Amino acid sequence: MGQHVSLAVDIGGTFTDVVLRSGDLIVAEKTPTTPDDLLAGFFTGVGAALARVGARPEEVDGPIVHATTVVTNALIERKGARAAMVFTQGFPDILEIRDERRYDMYDPQIEFPRPLVGRDSVLTVDERTYADGTVGREPSAADIDALCAEFAARGIESVGICLMHSYVNPHNEQLLAAGLRDRLPGVFVSTSSEIAPQIREYLRASTTAVNTYSVPITQPYLDRLETRLADEGFASSPLIMLSSGGVVGPATAGRLPVRMIESGPAAGALGAAHAATAMGLDTLLAFDMGGTTAKVCLIQDARPRVTGLFEIDRMYRFREGSGLPVTVPSVDLIEIGAGGGSIAHVNEFGLLNVGPRSAGSRPGPACYGHGGTDATVTDADVVLGAIDAAKFLGGAMPLDVEAAQRAVRRLAERLGTEPMATARGIYRIVCEAMASAVKTHASDRGVDYRGIPMLAFGGAGPVHACEVAELLNSELVIFPPLASVYSAFGSLVTPARLDLVRSGLRRLDDIDWRQVAEVFEDMEDEGRQALREAGCAGGEIEFRYGADVRYVGQHYDLMIELDGRPTVADGAAMLRRCFEAEYVRRYTICQDEVGVEVVNWRLVASGVLSTPPELGRGTGRQDGAAETRRVHIWQDDQEVRVLPRAALGAGDTLEGPVILEEAETTLVIPPGWSASLGAMGCVIATRT
Amino acid sequence: MARIDDPIELELMWATLRSVVTEQAKAMQRTAFSPVVREAGDLAYALFDARGRIVAQADTGTPGHINCLAFTGQYLAAKFAGQLEEGDVLVTNDPWEGAGHFFDITVLAPIFRDGRIIGFVGSTNHHTDIGGPGVGVGANDVHEEGLWIPPVKLFERGKPSKLLFDIIRRNVRTPDLITGDLMAQVASARGGGDAVNELCDRYGLDDIEGLTDRIVDLSEQAMRKAIRACPEGTWTGETRFDITGGTVISLKASVTIDRVAGEVLIDFAGSSPQINKGVNVVLNYTHAYSTFAVRSCLTPRLPNNAGSLAPIKVTAPQGSIVNCTYPAPVAARHVVGMYVPMPILKALYHVVPDRVLAEGPGAVWSAQVIGTHPNGAPYTSSQFSFSGGMGARARKPGPSATCYPTGIGATPLEVLETETPIVFRRRELRRGSGGRGRSPGGDGQIVEFGVRTERPWTLNAAPTGRRFCAEGLAGGEDGAPGRFCVNGVEWHGEGKTPMKPDDIVYMETPGGGGFGAPDGEATERAGAEVPEPAE
Repeated sequence: MGQHVSLAVDIGGTFTDVVLRSGDLIVAEKTPTTPDDLLAGFFTGVGAALARVGARPEEVDGPIVHATTVVTNALIERKGARAAMVFTQGFPDILEIRDERRYDMYDPQIEFPRPLVGRDSVLTVDERTYADGTVGREPSAADIDALCAEFAARGIESVGICLMHSYVNPHNEQLLAAGLRDRLPGVFVSTSSEIAPQIREYLRASTTAVNTYSVPITQPYLDRLETRLADEGFASSPLIMLSSGGVVGPATAGRLPVRMIESGPAAGALGAAHAATAMGLDTLLAFDMGGTTAKVCLIQDARPRVTGLFEIDRMYRFREGSGLPVTVPSVDLIEIGAGGGSIAHVNEFGLLNVGPRSAGSRPGPACYGHGGTDATVTDADVVLGAIDAAKFLGGAMPLDVEAAQRAVRRLAERLGTEPMATARGIYRIVCEAMASAVKTHASDRGVDYRGIPMLAFGGAGPVHACEVAELLNSELVIFPPLASVYSAFGSLVTPARLDLVRSGLRRLDDIDWRQVAEVFEDMEDEGRQALREAGCAGGEIEFRYGADVRYVGQHYDLMIELDGRPTVADGAAMLRRCFEAEYVRRYTICQDEVGVEVVNWRLVASGVLSTPPELGRGTGRQDGAAETRRVHIWQDDQEVRVLPRAALGAGDTLEGPVILEEAETTLVIPPGWSASLGAMGCVIATRT
Repeated sequence: MARIDDPIELELMWATLRSVVTEQAKAMQRTAFSPVVREAGDLAYALFDARGRIVAQADTGTPGHINCLAFTGQYLAAKFAGQLEEGDVLVTNDPWEGAGHFFDITVLAPIFRDGRIIGFVGSTNHHTDIGGPGVGVGANDVHEEGLWIPPVKLFERGKPSKLLFDIIRRNVRTPDLITGDLMAQVASARGGGDAVNELCDRYGLDDIEGLTDRIVDLSEQAMRKAIRACPEGTWTGETRFDITGGTVISLKASVTIDRVAGEVLIDFAGSSPQINKGVNVVLNYTHAYSTFAVRSCLTPRLPNNAGSLAPIKVTAPQGSIVNCTYPAPVAARHVVGMYVPMPILKALYHVVPDRVLAEGPGAVWSAQVIGTHPNGAPYTSSQFSFSGGMGARARKPGPSATCYPTGIGATPLEVLETETPIVFRRRELRRGSGGRGRSPGGDGQIVEFGVRTERPWTLNAAPTGRRFCAEGLAGGEDGAPGRFCVNGVEWHGEGKTPMKPDDIVYMETPGGGGFGAPDGEATERAGAEVPEPAE
């Protein structure tokens, strides 16, 4: 074929998306996810994509980037291995005691998630490292023998080790790990000093437990993937997407599965960042609304925001603090309980509410015809004429309009309003809910959301995006092509990348900058090795330096990027300058008089990216029949033009209200907005 | 022009108000220097109508602050009626009109629209310092506890009061942090006012009176309806507990459900009198934790506002420990205040048995280590704390190492050991300390620590609940009482105590009470089951 052929495969909960790229040619394929053997769906999708361009596996010589839900599945279904943890003697209950916080003040019936490794699988060892790194006591050989005998007797497959202050000095953890590996060669061993070398014993232990629990599932999965790709003759080996938006080789990923948990959403955020760059925008709000939830991610400086902490397995899905904390770099997403399946209901005040309860995909919205009777967001969209029932999923799944109308009518009766007003209310209230979640998320991070451009994707995103944008005072909404496989596309535009972190709690005037240089050298070595494994040549590897910093007296720290690697001469001044700049940017004020301290050092190692594909080139304008239909979103019985998305040609401007349809979604352009074609084949809606 | 009586328009506007307060509270919490504000969300942020009635509140915050702010806002709005101009900002930390001690400073600003006041926005934050001896029980009267800021204008027509700022700065140990936190409160009050004006623009409103009246009315109706669904009658509950130093406090609450009026009346007659230690509680704070207890059992999802609060009346004898009078010391009022819900829950067991929880230790055990490094430099640890076990629920055990009604996080041991030479030898669950029961109470913890030093050091600790244990409910057994030992011997010190270099502190925090007889159904099941309110 002459061009490099590369693949992106994103295994999600419902669908496995495949995007194949050969030069500027892009092919997308969607196939159902196969939960019993995720790789079955992987190869079905890849096979179909190759067949469409007539390529053979041997011709796939570019990256094969993979995002997968395998770790998440293991965690949520609690299908992980027989895992055990080892803690310092005296501290066996770190996972059960948590941080003592009650995440909901008001609910006396509050519950906390069950730890992944229960108390009966926790052993302790007589050892101690102090906060300054001094080893008070090493684990004895006899104690290691006894631990191993116990694990062997219980048939433990995976062991996590989290000892006090191992983030300062990993000596005892390494000693213990080596002892375990010698005596129990078949057992997977995870050490907290490798998984999450950061101060705060509960966070480190929780993260290590998640890794320990998922290694025995993930490593064989990645081995199988590699073997099968080689067996089928693929010319390149896979790269694995991480939650931070980086990609690494299967060996690194297999050792650190805790870093793969949010790989799918991370890929979507990268796609959004790519779009931001292509559009020449610094800041962008990626808005992905699907069947059960909406996910929002802020793109700043054309990069997704990365956070150092997130949660899995929340007791209350959308409640911060109700899950198991994981402290590894991850794209900073909010998940909102508002999707096409969100159910509308009448609350205790007799007012209309939407969500967070969802009809899911079974029975799904009433209009799916699977027996659902509750009015959902999708039902309202059908009743309002926003979605054409006959063309849903490109006509593959016609919707039952009457069922939607019945559901909405029943709700309207309870509410005492007209059905159309009720449907319109559902539409507006779900948009209000999403806008207010974005506002809270943004102000929590010191980002001014007013006027921020939006990128809308996911099945339901483009239907609601402009309304949400208006509530955020935004005047620009971008609808990318390939909206329904946008995450997979995102992973094709990602350079190899690994985020590293080391604890270093010290006041700024107390820091030994020579030692800091050693810490960074050590991280650079680790990053270089992981990236070489991912196929990067040494000269292509770039490093970015960062730190988590706070004012002395504050308990939460700010992740900042440094101008470069700190030196003995100007480390302190540079760090303070970068910290204050970021602090002012987020909080508008800074405190000159207060001391500053570093909590963690960070390094991002990344490879360089080959030229990203130009989308939408050469797709000639397609004439669409000038159709109209009755739409009731803004007023009753409005005749609105409906065109296929492809009918919008370069240089055209369509004044709203207008609806643009494509196979998997519908672009709703309200009155007062206009649509035109932009870079990369994106449709650009602007408020006029 | 939006229609207030439309179930969709009203919801949209109400949702916008909720969004405004939550967003502003988040912004304020983010910038706070005060660790309790950032870590524990010890703040409240609310919107008031033009008459000073609380209308919407951020869902962050502790009950003590949230419900006290309702009173403080009303008080300030009334006191300054007719004297406010655009750009004015009010402030006070009056314990009796505020949240019960000097650390909590309330800032309130009027919202102007076309030259007319259409409402107020304000917040109460816990500040890092307010002069005086710090959070402790040692003061003889309130004046020993720090700086008293009367209700005054902090800003006049947009200009800061230099005199007031100078006085505040000169009277606190960390003037920059206090000023920084005060300015964050001012900024968020202004931000909230702007957002309310934007709402009026979008919906074509001249003011928010019609909207807020409707919100308050609907909430009040829903609250009264929930009360009327309860059985009529009066029940009493009593809680006894010992605080640091061995003083025994008794709180007695009688809870009356008045179905005709749709009201809950709570009276604390028979509770201990105020004492000469800084643990006395002002009525505002008692009221706050009382309404918290009632609302968390009856209507946990109903929004907090003047309407939902109105049907709950709280009285307590003047001069009692839960309605202390000037000049009683109050700095550590939470030590007793955290127990206010306990007798109410016991009484409510007869009303909504499935929704209450058994007693638990109301307060966390906090401690602090102070000393000098080998080079002579002084060190002081953060105030660190460990929870006991929470009381059991009818169908669920009490969570271990978790406190109710407070629910603050514990500082990680590694952070404490990095700040100071303290070394922990042990921290584990105290298995079996929760009372047995059909649902067992939560377990407390065993914590043991010393200091890696060759110099004497000072311990500052405040254990409670060592003589009286958390009572079981409905036949459930009591939780184990706490123990606090130094070198294996029960410690009876109070406040700051000198220690030898290798002294070892050992504590067992109390367990929560069990619910229901250990091998069977709950022994007494009174009252009707009240259905959960719809989502």
